[in-house]
Amino acid sequence: MNIKKQFQEGLITNNPVLVQQIGMCATMAITTTLFNGVGMGLSVLIILTCCNVVVSAIRKIIPDEIRLAIFVVVIAGFVTIVDLLLQAYIPALSAALGVFIPLIVVNCIIIGRAEAFCQKNTVSASFFDGIFQGLGYTCVLILMCVFREFVGSGRFGGGLIDITNGFRFTLDGTGSGIQIFPSEYGAGIMNLPFGGFITLGLLIAVMQYALKKSAKKKALAERAAAEAAADKEEDE
Amino acid sequence: MNSDTKKILKLTFILFLICAITAGILGVVNEVTKDRIYMQKNAKTIEAYSVVLASDRYDEVEFDKAAFPTVDVVSKADNGAGYVVQSTFSGAQGSITMVVGVDNDYKCTGISIIEHSETSGLGANAASTAEVGVKFREQFVGQGEDIALSKAGGSIEALTGATITSNAVTEATATSIAVVKSLG
Amino acid sequence: MLTNILAISLGAILTNNFIFSQFLGCCPFLGCSSKVDTAAGMGLAVVFVMGLASAICWVIDTYILIPLGLAFLETLAFILVIASLVQFVEMFLKKSVPSLYSALGIYLPLITTNCAVLGVVLLNVQNNYNFIESVVYGVTGGLGFMLAIVLFASVRERIEFADYPECFEGFSICLISAGLVALAFMGFSGMKIF
Repeated sequence: MNIKKQFQEGLITNNPVLVQQIGMCATMAITTTLFNGVGMGLSVLIILTCCNVVVSAIRKIIPDEIRLAIFVVVIAGFVTIVDLLLQAYIPALSAALGVFIPLIVVNCIIIGRAEAFCQKNTVSASFFDGIFQGLGYTCVLILMCVFREFVGSGRFGGGLIDITNGFRFTLDGTGSGIQIFPSEYGAGIMNLPFGGFITLGLLIAVMQYALKKSAKKKALAERAAAEAAADKEEDE
Repeated sequence: MNSDTKKILKLTFILFLICAITAGILGVVNEVTKDRIYMQKNAKTIEAYSVVLASDRYDEVEFDKAAFPTVDVVSKADNGAGYVVQSTFSGAQGSITMVVGVDNDYKCTGISIIEHSETSGLGANAASTAEVGVKFREQFVGQGEDIALSKAGGSIEALTGATITSNAVTEATATSIAVVKSLG
Repeated sequence: MLTNILAISLGAILTNNFIFSQFLGCCPFLGCSSKVDTAAGMGLAVVFVMGLASAICWVIDTYILIPLGLAFLETLAFILVIASLVQFVEMFLKKSVPSLYSALGIYLPLITTNCAVLGVVLLNVQNNYNFIESVVYGVTGGLGFMLAIVLFASVRERIEFADYPECFEGFSICLISAGLVALAFMGFSGMKIF
């Protein structure tokens, strides 16, 4: 298992949200501002990486019968740690994400990776798997946030970027973002639950379209190569 | 002891051990972050008080808790500018904790939401520092006890898609003014 | 008290529906909604477990965790309670009510990772609900979930015959139709009792 392939899998071919289609609750619920999306994505990335490392490190000593219970305890532990740290150091993020931080415990991405990958792989492979799967998740969240925020309120980077006194990043969620067009003209419905469903649906459709196209291209290329080889044989 | 019981004991022991280790680590993290979390929450409240009604000190006063069950604390501003009322009430998704400043003419001097769990991008705008939130809260300044949403004949424009939150905040402001009036 | 409970129930079923406005429990919602029967089975199982979990977690939180100053262990304790509760319910049903077990059995293990269940107990704590309110919120939240999943399953049975672009196949078209149902549910948000 090489790193490049893992990278590709996490971000594109086996993306947790768009291809595996798991962990969608938070994806749709909190993607209203870039601040929330980046915060949630990074929290999941950190928790996923830590859990992956721990699970693969103890994979040989945990009995098969109670492995799920142990995974859940490990995950809940890390989630609580992140939750407490966020409350202490980035309270704005903790307030904005609310119940969705503790709910990372039941996010299928984490338990799914523990079950499907870390149980059978080494610590280092699991570490990179955590990073890349987490990155894949974060990218989807960011895409959704950017789209929903732009269409919904004509803004980019709400909470995270502030341009009133020159460009700067605000880590306390107070930045007002870059207003691209006045928010009155935005389709406010994108900020509603409806927007979450539609955006994710469209994103999955685009992904399926792209994957199918590349698969077709590959198949065509393979067929051409096979024909060329056959021609060559005939020539000989 | 047969092998089945032995196995169950072994599994229980391992599970217990892992739980104990996790709980131990969490205990340590909690110890470390506890004071900071408490401070963060307190800092927010203090800031909210000074936003709605500026004063160096606020002294808690007695009020009729039975008549105003949603009100938590009523404090008198030391400089005589008026009162600050802290109340907890239910919004659209969960409870909202808010402070309201009330001057001596029983008019609202400002509101600030300390804690809430409203929908991000909708009800949460009531507490947001973005323009939409600031504009929403500015409407409350100068309102009296007859404050109401524009739909109900008042002058408060509700937040888009968050009528319930807007209404809850408006009602809580009216209650806060009423509790100050009841002090006489 | 009564109006309060009515308000909680109405909110949990319609205005703040767990799926269409809070996004809790979307995975089983999309995974188990291809047929109306399975959807109803899953919905019933969720109502059952959410009600029970709300009651038990409230007791544990109020009488064990908070007095001992262990509130930071809530998430860990709740998920363990839910996981073991689901196991117990499964064993109990298998032994004593086999007919119900055959109807709900296969859905029970899936419920452990249903975020609606953990979500409802965490929201109970966050909203400072008392025992009765917690149980009511749990049961009605489950009913809201059931309403949503059964409604959506009937929508999906019709999608089967619809003609949509190939790349929208699977979850994509489901999510978009779920969005439309969510839009319909928004109509309830103006409702209010008192």
